[in-house]
Amino acid sequence: MATDKELSDFLKSVEKRAFKRTAFAVRDDDAALDIVQDAMIRLAEKYIDRPAAELPLLFQRILSNATMDWFRRQKVRNALVHNFSDFEGGDEDGDFDLLETLDTVESSIGTESAADSVSRDQILLLIDTEVAQLPARQREAFLLRYWEELDVAETASVMGCSEGSVKTHCSRAVHALAKALKAKGIAP
Amino acid sequence: MNNNTPLIHSTDVDALQARFGMRVASLLGEQAQQAPSDISERLRVAREQAVERGRMARRQTRLATASAPIVLGRGGAASLAERPGWWVKLASAMPLAMLVCGLLVIDHLHEQAQIKATADVDAALLSDDLPPTAYSDPGFAEYLKATAQQ
Repeated sequence: MATDKELSDFLKSVEKRAFKRTAFAVRDDDAALDIVQDAMIRLAEKYIDRPAAELPLLFQRILSNATMDWFRRQKVRNALVHNFSDFEGGDEDGDFDLLETLDTVESSIGTESAADSVSRDQILLLIDTEVAQLPARQREAFLLRYWEELDVAETASVMGCSEGSVKTHCSRAVHALAKALKAKGIAP
Repeated sequence: MNNNTPLIHSTDVDALQARFGMRVASLLGEQAQQAPSDISERLRVAREQAVERGRMARRQTRLATASAPIVLGRGGAASLAERPGWWVKLASAMPLAMLVCGLLVIDHLHEQAQIKATADVDAALLSDDLPPTAYSDPGFAEYLKATAQQ
């Protein structure tokens, strides 16, 4: 059973990421705060008897469900379905060089030399904007996998899809981000 | 695909994607940490509220756990009461049954006593020299009254 301190420390460690992830999804800071608060309370009330090690995955599931509940309440599911259909289409980047882009962008944001043309804050803001523009499922998969550091199986569990879908979403998200960042000049 | 690009294994692509994803996520984390103070404050309040709710939930769980033996005790007592229920009911019915039996016996004895008394009277009348019809005679009745006054 998680202690008060363990619960508090855990929530403190994830609250800002949770808020940001939810804000990306609902595009409304107030709604995102409400959803995060709701998820925190649900976790505390219903899963306080679980070991502290189980809290991260439980919280991500609860947060995802709470976000979906919000969408249902807002009756904007059609918009979501529209977003989901975004990655049903074919790959438009047939001539896109993954290795080159990943290498250049990764090295660009991995070093302070990127600040030669754009300040670090601007880069952060740019990344924030590009992540926000990803299709919902791609963004969710990307954030769960690389930000929340869940493995593929855990991400699939939270998202309610197959592991193959998670890999596809993540791959497309990475491609889209790399291409967008490169187009914005974040390259050596 | 660019023809100059060397062939790469899919695991290498996965590794590159993972590196890129982690790096972007790391920068995204920096951005998230720079959340406005009002949002940070609301998150802090939400966290404290959640911890308080968790504390209350834990307390309720403990109370439920602590009261479980009492409930079991009650259940046990109830089950103990239920198991000899027949005996308890029988024992509680015994005094009533004994009372009824006693009343029946008393009634029977009383009836027997009445029958015996009547039989004695009848026997006395029948065995007496005086015939029973004499008692319906007005003259004999007057004789008896006079004898009793003397």
